[in-house]
Amino acid sequence: MKRTEIAPGVHLLWDPAPKFNRCRISIHFAFPAKRETATAHALLPLVMERGYADCPDMTQMTKTLARLYGADLTVDARPFGANHNLCVSATGIKDRFALEGEPLTREYAGLALGTAFHPAFVGGVFDPEAVGIEKQMLRKALEDEVNEKRIYCQRQANREFFGDSPAGIRQEGYLEEVDALTPEALTAAYREMLETAQIELLILGCEEAETEQVKDALLRELSAVERRPAPLCGNMAMPRREPARKVECFDTVQAKLCMLFTLGEPMRPDQIAAVRLAMALYGGSVTSRLFLNVRERDHLCYYCASSFQSFTGSMAVNSGVEHADAARAEAAILKELDDLRNGPITDEELEDCRLSLLSGMAGIEDSLGGIETWYYMEVLRGSGLQTPDEARAALRAVTKEDVRAILRQLSLSVSYLLTREEGTADV
Amino acid sequence: MSELRSQALADAAADQWKILPSGLTVLVQPMPGYSGTHVIYATRFGSIDRDFRLNGREVHLPAGVAHFLEHKMFEDQDGDAFAKFAKTGANANAFTSFDRTCYLFTATQQLDESLDVLLGMVGHPYFTEQTIAKEQGIIGQEIKMYDDSADWRLITGLCECLYHSHPIRSDIAGTCESIAEITPKMLYDCCEAFYAPGNMVLAAAGNITMEQILAACERHGLMELRPEERVQRLWAEEPMTLAATEKRIRMPVSKPCFGLGFKETPLAPDDLRSELLYDLILCCVCGGMSPLYRRLYDSGLTNPGFGGEVLRVDGCCCILFTGESDEPDTVKQMLLGEIERVRREGIDREVFTLCKNEKYGQLIENLENVEDSASQMADFALSGQTVVQQIEALAALTADDADAALQHILQPARMAMMYIEPDGTADLPEADDEETEDEE
Repeated sequence: MKRTEIAPGVHLLWDPAPKFNRCRISIHFAFPAKRETATAHALLPLVMERGYADCPDMTQMTKTLARLYGADLTVDARPFGANHNLCVSATGIKDRFALEGEPLTREYAGLALGTAFHPAFVGGVFDPEAVGIEKQMLRKALEDEVNEKRIYCQRQANREFFGDSPAGIRQEGYLEEVDALTPEALTAAYREMLETAQIELLILGCEEAETEQVKDALLRELSAVERRPAPLCGNMAMPRREPARKVECFDTVQAKLCMLFTLGEPMRPDQIAAVRLAMALYGGSVTSRLFLNVRERDHLCYYCASSFQSFTGSMAVNSGVEHADAARAEAAILKELDDLRNGPITDEELEDCRLSLLSGMAGIEDSLGGIETWYYMEVLRGSGLQTPDEARAALRAVTKEDVRAILRQLSLSVSYLLTREEGTADV
Repeated sequence: MSELRSQALADAAADQWKILPSGLTVLVQPMPGYSGTHVIYATRFGSIDRDFRLNGREVHLPAGVAHFLEHKMFEDQDGDAFAKFAKTGANANAFTSFDRTCYLFTATQQLDESLDVLLGMVGHPYFTEQTIAKEQGIIGQEIKMYDDSADWRLITGLCECLYHSHPIRSDIAGTCESIAEITPKMLYDCCEAFYAPGNMVLAAAGNITMEQILAACERHGLMELRPEERVQRLWAEEPMTLAATEKRIRMPVSKPCFGLGFKETPLAPDDLRSELLYDLILCCVCGGMSPLYRRLYDSGLTNPGFGGEVLRVDGCCCILFTGESDEPDTVKQMLLGEIERVRREGIDREVFTLCKNEKYGQLIENLENVEDSASQMADFALSGQTVVQQIEALAALTADDADAALQHILQPARMAMMYIEPDGTADLPEADDEETEDEE
């Protein structure tokens, strides 16, 4: 993987990845999230994905992608801590599989760049009809959030955990703001993104000459934009607090529990290897304490897993539990954490977890998605471009004390429970 | 599609296929340049296999046995298979569907050792009353998790409407009551009947060779002749009429959800062609390129995920449409109207060709990573086919075939409707705050 700066705030990440059947061209726009434009930026990918100036109609766009053997064109927004990331990506089979010898890669590049830089405008703003339809879709998605209880519980816990901090901006959008969004406001948010974002052009599975052509085409597009790239927010962490316990009632068959912990200070890049092993040991693998003890031995949860978010220095433990067992499950989750901090850790369990992580990391470069996610996360962490092999070497050096040091730093901030009201009968 | 047999495609789909003396079907796709290997050990035994005759004796199972057995297979006299996989660094898992159970792992090192764990655990079942009792609690939790999934309840509700007696009516995991009836004898009977090598497929893709797989099979006695178990699946007669035309339930969802199901004539086990054809018809009738999808999308009548799928297993074939809508009956009428229009006017030729193009791209994509590649090989092999045969079948399909099929499928007389209505609890605007002291 090679990374070069091709203009201020614009980088190219390229890997020819010849073993794959497909290639992928992604343009990432990353910028600090802002409360006032959060809903516009949540709507933006929905409107952009419908079509662009050369192919404004959604159905025609779907047909174009089908003609390219089911190529994917996605416009995807994701939060990374206090930063917002919009990614336009085109993926499809390589030219050598084209049945009629079509130049597929060139078409993917045209789709990705067209979608990113030439939206379907009417009178200088996003097409009001498309905006109106996609506002309905966003509204529906926000209203439907509650249908997926596991995700809903996690989001509600996050809202309590982050409060008014920049990482707490609801990058999925605010329901009460959707109706008032105008095509003009959406267009202004889009233009601001083009001007201020850090841009990463990621090209996987293309040869050098093709890559050069896409890079040059991107630079031509950017020459028409008044660029003033803004620095991204660095890693952050929420301050420690007295744990808040929240309960929300639904008449579900199974209760959901989400517990959020803070590291208390931003995670340093050199801690990442210890964090990975700490999560595998605590709740991120089938050899973890939460899986083996809370799920398998105590039968308190059907799922019970921990995960760490490096940008926000936070750990989440999500579980699905019997309504009556929620308090016991929470106590057991905390006890397992305490046991790892202060009790013995066997060599066997540590090495089992390490081996599992090492094995998983060795397979990262076996998929386009794995490569893109790994290296783009490395870019956002801003600590140099560590390869999976280098990360494996760092992981081999992690000691029990390194793991304990991470776990001891974590303190519970929020415990969010979705359960039914007392006295409600089993379904 | 005349150029389907291009060299690039031939290279990408270059799997190797062998049937061992034990009857086991083995497929390997070496993928140069890849670090990982994905291995699937699959049996044609799923939740619908409830009644069978084994060596002349009838066996009748409660719902959920195949899934229960999948969980128990990870345990033997000398420990938990997950713990053994942990020693090799492999990432292991398993799943059960209506008609198959699959055990799988992904590994980048100690491949031979991981193969030994996989072949050893599936070849040496061990069950006692105590270990069965222990598993009932865990699976009870899993059943409850699915009970809260509106998407899953739509599928199971439609199957209950469409079928009188076919075991597809029952949830894959069964119920807390049905799994309480499971005994060690039942599980051993299932192993004897369905975990015989002749009923199984071993598929591997990635950094692996056929020689490695054969050596592992040799270590586990799979190169030896095995006596063939005399197993006969027993099916109750299933008429083409519906058990019910409609079902309604209430759940904590924010929007009403709906499902429309059409009961179709069951397909022969090796008839992947019809399934593929039905998929293409659905793509033309309500896929992203169809006028119906666009009307529904623009009017906000359904969510973007609205679509149809084919569900087919032995003795059952149905076409299910699911989505969310405030006006499910309006969507139903629009869908029925569009089916009738297409039946009358014929399939749009351009859209049909584009749908075929999409399918072709999907098959190529599935040959790209080790997981999809092994899964695709195993899936087709369980129906006695290869990836290349599937691509050739796709190439041969025409819009005339689709027109002909549409004359007998998706008939309103064989349609049932499932509604999930909000119970009101999902609309609560704010959480009740209950600040308490930390228990630590």
